[in-house]
Amino acid sequence: MANWGMVIDLDKCVGCQACSLACKAENNVPHGTPYEHDRHHDMYWHKVIAAHEGEYPAVNTQIIPMPCMHCSSPPCVNVCPSKATFKRGDGIVVQNFRRCLGCRYCIVACPYGARNFNFKDQQDEEYQRPDLPPDLAAEVGGLKYGAEIGPWPYPHRTRGVVEKCTYCFHRIDEALLRIENGADIKIGVDVVPACVEACPTEARFFGDLDDPESTVSRLLASRTYIKLREDMLTNPKTIYLPR
Amino acid sequence: MNETAADKPNSPEPKRSNGFKISRRAFLGVSGAAAAVLAVVLALKRPKFGPDQGFETQETNGLARDENGLPAEVLIPTSCLNCPTRCAVRVRRVETTLGKTKVVRIFGNPASTYSDGRCCSRSHVGLQVLYNAGRFSMPLRRRADVEKGRAVSYENDFEEIGWDEALQEVAGHIQGTTPDRLLILEGLNTTSNEDLIHQFALACGTPNLFKEEGLETDADRRGKMLADGLGNSGYELVSEDGTSAKYIISFSSGIVESERPLARNLRLWGKMRRELPNRTKVVSFDPRHSVTASRADEWHPINPGSEGALAMAIAHVIIAEGLYDADFIANHAEGFEAFRTVALAHQFSPESVSEACGVDAETITKVAREFAQARPAVAWSGEAATGWAYGTFASHAIYCLNALAGSIDVPGGIVYQQYPPYAPMPALPVSQTGITYYDMDQAAGGMATAIGFNSNLIMSVPESGEGAKWDQRLKDLYYVHVGPARSEMAAYADIILPTCTYLEDWGYESAIPGSGYAEARIKQPVIDPRDESRPPARVIFDIATLLGQAAAFVPPSSGVTGDSQSFPEQFAAYRTSPFIAWDDFKRVGVWKGGAYSYRSYAFGNFRFHSEGLERVRNVDLPREEAPYGLELAIYRPVLEIRGGSQNFPWAQEMYLVMHGRGWKNLVELNRETAHRLGIGEGDEVIVESAFGEIEGEAAVIEGMRPGVVAIATGQGHFASGEFADDIGCNPMEVMGTEYDEESGQPTLFSTRVGIRKA
Repeated sequence: MANWGMVIDLDKCVGCQACSLACKAENNVPHGTPYEHDRHHDMYWHKVIAAHEGEYPAVNTQIIPMPCMHCSSPPCVNVCPSKATFKRGDGIVVQNFRRCLGCRYCIVACPYGARNFNFKDQQDEEYQRPDLPPDLAAEVGGLKYGAEIGPWPYPHRTRGVVEKCTYCFHRIDEALLRIENGADIKIGVDVVPACVEACPTEARFFGDLDDPESTVSRLLASRTYIKLREDMLTNPKTIYLPR
Repeated sequence: MNETAADKPNSPEPKRSNGFKISRRAFLGVSGAAAAVLAVVLALKRPKFGPDQGFETQETNGLARDENGLPAEVLIPTSCLNCPTRCAVRVRRVETTLGKTKVVRIFGNPASTYSDGRCCSRSHVGLQVLYNAGRFSMPLRRRADVEKGRAVSYENDFEEIGWDEALQEVAGHIQGTTPDRLLILEGLNTTSNEDLIHQFALACGTPNLFKEEGLETDADRRGKMLADGLGNSGYELVSEDGTSAKYIISFSSGIVESERPLARNLRLWGKMRRELPNRTKVVSFDPRHSVTASRADEWHPINPGSEGALAMAIAHVIIAEGLYDADFIANHAEGFEAFRTVALAHQFSPESVSEACGVDAETITKVAREFAQARPAVAWSGEAATGWAYGTFASHAIYCLNALAGSIDVPGGIVYQQYPPYAPMPALPVSQTGITYYDMDQAAGGMATAIGFNSNLIMSVPESGEGAKWDQRLKDLYYVHVGPARSEMAAYADIILPTCTYLEDWGYESAIPGSGYAEARIKQPVIDPRDESRPPARVIFDIATLLGQAAAFVPPSSGVTGDSQSFPEQFAAYRTSPFIAWDDFKRVGVWKGGAYSYRSYAFGNFRFHSEGLERVRNVDLPREEAPYGLELAIYRPVLEIRGGSQNFPWAQEMYLVMHGRGWKNLVELNRETAHRLGIGEGDEVIVESAFGEIEGEAAVIEGMRPGVVAIATGQGHFASGEFADDIGCNPMEVMGTEYDEESGQPTLFSTRVGIRKA
């Protein structure tokens, strides 16, 4: 089974936030309001942050796109009392909204601020995607939909649970099914998460970290890379290439 | 947690709670049965589009499944219009099980090589432009007894009227106005609609057509035209065969933030940084540590308005050290000797300019040497460099650096944009229209009637605050607003004609300067126009018909029928017929012209203009004295949607990426300046000038030249809707009017302000 990871080249990234917007559109993540923004109650599965250092005129700003790190040793999974958050076989850390109690231990445990608590009932927006989620009865990549992880209530959210980035696993699973049925497509090339697809500078790459031929593996072999907060032994699979 | 059957994904239009509670076991049984019924319903009642929709080649049912049982892709090629770059996009449309059509995603179109099939963050906001709650559903007429003003209530101040009545009234007003008292305002519009508006102005016989894009670009354009006379020059940066600019000097330009063509700049930035053999070096001179400055290799903070002087100092070094491209100068340029004399004068020596621009002479000399020796090298003039009273000359000085480095008409340098060979529109008795901001500002008091096509004038001109010049003028005019949604200009309207958005419109777009080669992109409706809204082309055609000018747009031989409903599509098909079949255009969405031929020097000789250049030396430095010692600089963040409204929550909640702030713009100050003024982070402050005052939240930062106040544009709306109104402030309201004398552009950077705590 693949070990999905994402590589983000900070030298190419210019902070345009197409990734954040594509994520919102792809996953029906509700937009916030000024009130929620001031209280950090608005939801982002993906956010671009800017970190400033130095004093005028020696100023340096790092612009860092922040999806979930999909840690190999995810602290959020360790603390979840209801096993609502777990790591799939392919390494993607997902959240089962139906099991989630809303205790928010995972939000406290996550060193990256990648998790959001859903404080409100989502309004119906006309542009939301009724075609989500993959309503698959079949077994894909060793995962049985319906039986193992349950159908995913994407078009509509549940108030009082925690949500997070999924590396757009619905796209990956759909592609796996297509591949099973003989389609000539490659995950990481033809099928990528929405943020990777939307990046106008092509700063983001997605693929199998265990496949030495994949773009992500080659990039990691050719450049210095950073894993955020490596000292916390989370071993993230979202990896950055510095400038 | 309680769930109902409707909670199951893929069920029709699910509702979350109806107060009906059942146990989990019962739920499973019920939902299983419901799913079975649903599957049957889905199979029997799979909605389809009729053949009249024109997308027969695609599987159009969003919830239709392919052979793998997965949703089939439905992608309709069209183009964006959230900024003037107008990228080719593909729009995903689905149909719900209830037969409701939804537009759910916007992607780039890989057929467009202009930006490698990429589009920027603004394009995604198109969904909220389409489904904006502030859209007009019917033509509106101001009630007789209601005065115009900022405190508008669209429900109470206007009455709904029919299209026929509205069009009759507008046509009557135009007929009752002499052409020289008729003003036509053009905001951001589709290229095809711009062509129609231009022709419409000619048909009305008015010279008073004002393009609002000129508020930002006229001085820059004029300065470049002094040299080449063409007005279509663009920065290619990376040629099709992969030759890239090796060195870029950004003169206060937001190359990856706001400079057009934005999506192309972003894509090429990625290429220049990591994908090509020679990494491009970028040096940013900017008073503000902008996104571009932060991504550049070097940032040198300079005094606002000193970019032109700095360019001349760089020219001074290049000429003095003989580093210029002698071959280009000898064979393709004129006026160099006079330019050389001006540039070598003492006032433009690095030592002399150093004080004015606040960059030390060694840095200027170093950058000049690097620039001249790394070819091709590009000097990019930003809006903040040219929005001054001497803006044309500043633009020209910067442009001349490109000539000195031999970057004119070479791969990766400056190229001259080609345009698609559109079919002709008829010649009319009046053949000239178009005025500068200066002319309009002088004549506006005498105007009687104005028509604004998606105009955003009141938000983008100086002296626009309550009770100020433009507020009063718009109250006095009979104003017809033609646009899709609530906006500040609509608040001043006597009649509002609701047009559809760009995602519901027919038309074509031309690629703006940047690529060299021509590219055309289609606009086709991805969904039927909402409510009673109509394509702008149809509105223009209908008014012209009432004025007896229906023949002004296409020649009789074009085959376009006089049917108003089908006119927009037929017009676009006729205009693009010389180079692409309409069905192919609808299917692919993009047409690309032949390869660009470099070194053709279409302008003849590059003219070094030396008269008046010394004016760029008149830099007014920030001062400490009260009351107005600080320099006000505006900037345009990437998520400022350029279509006239900002009522889009996605754009609003990520508005200022450098500050991590949304739903706001900030009054940005250097820490030292803030300390001197006794202002702290997050303080509510009042920014005041001789022309007005605004209130905002202070942001105390390191990345700002002391003595400068920067405020992002795009906020301070008052009549656009719940996600835009009363958020932030509009810096235009404190600006005074001054012009660039050559181009008539208002100077958007020369106002001085004072700041105090609120």
